[in-house]
Amino acid sequence: MNNRLKVLRAERDWSQADLAERLGVSRQTVNALETGRYDPSLPLAFRIARVFGQPIESIFLDTE
Amino acid sequence: MNAGDKPRRPYGLGTYLLVVLGVGVIGAVVGGVAGAFGDTPGPAGLAITAASISLAMALAFAACVWWWRGIDEAAREAHKWAWWWGGSGGMAIGIVLFSVLSLRGEDVAPAEIGASAPDLLVTGVWAILLFQLAGYSVAWAVWWLKHR
Repeated sequence: MNNRLKVLRAERDWSQADLAERLGVSRQTVNALETGRYDPSLPLAFRIARVFGQPIESIFLDTE
Repeated sequence: MNAGDKPRRPYGLGTYLLVVLGVGVIGAVVGGVAGAFGDTPGPAGLAITAASISLAMALAFAACVWWWRGIDEAAREAHKWAWWWGGSGGMAIGIVLFSVLSLRGEDVAPAEIGASAPDLLVTGVWAILLFQLAGYSVAWAVWWLKHR
């Protein structure tokens, strides 16, 4: 699943570690999310949406 | 959770080492109890050994579950994947290897482990556990390599 995490993070000038701190996950998880190699759980997806102040469907793009 | 709430940090290396140490202490205490009282004649010795090992297993399992629930989401997924695919795969390889060697009549175990039925049984248990652990470790590393 593709996502706009890297773009949204760059817009805010946050490092992966900054975002990880805000989400309560490790930097490795943020990296795996950004590369699209790991799909988050629903609770984590909601946390991401809250942190960026955007709806989930504008962050995660269904590629199917 | 409110938008302003700061999420809890996932458990790190310190907590992991604490759990390993705790499980080690549990193992040492139980080993001491089983060693001191396990030779008691009659069913009492057997009961003490069974009860102490069961208690140790339950405590260690509870500690691992507590730790696993507190770690990072992706790390949790990696352990779950490694537990199933790595553990099962390692066990399968071990069983195939030992079965083939046994069926061919090869002397699988070194002489130092003994030849009595209990000795061979315990060796088999530990050997399969080692295969599972090896499979677990490989699968865990593969998961992280695939998700970097």
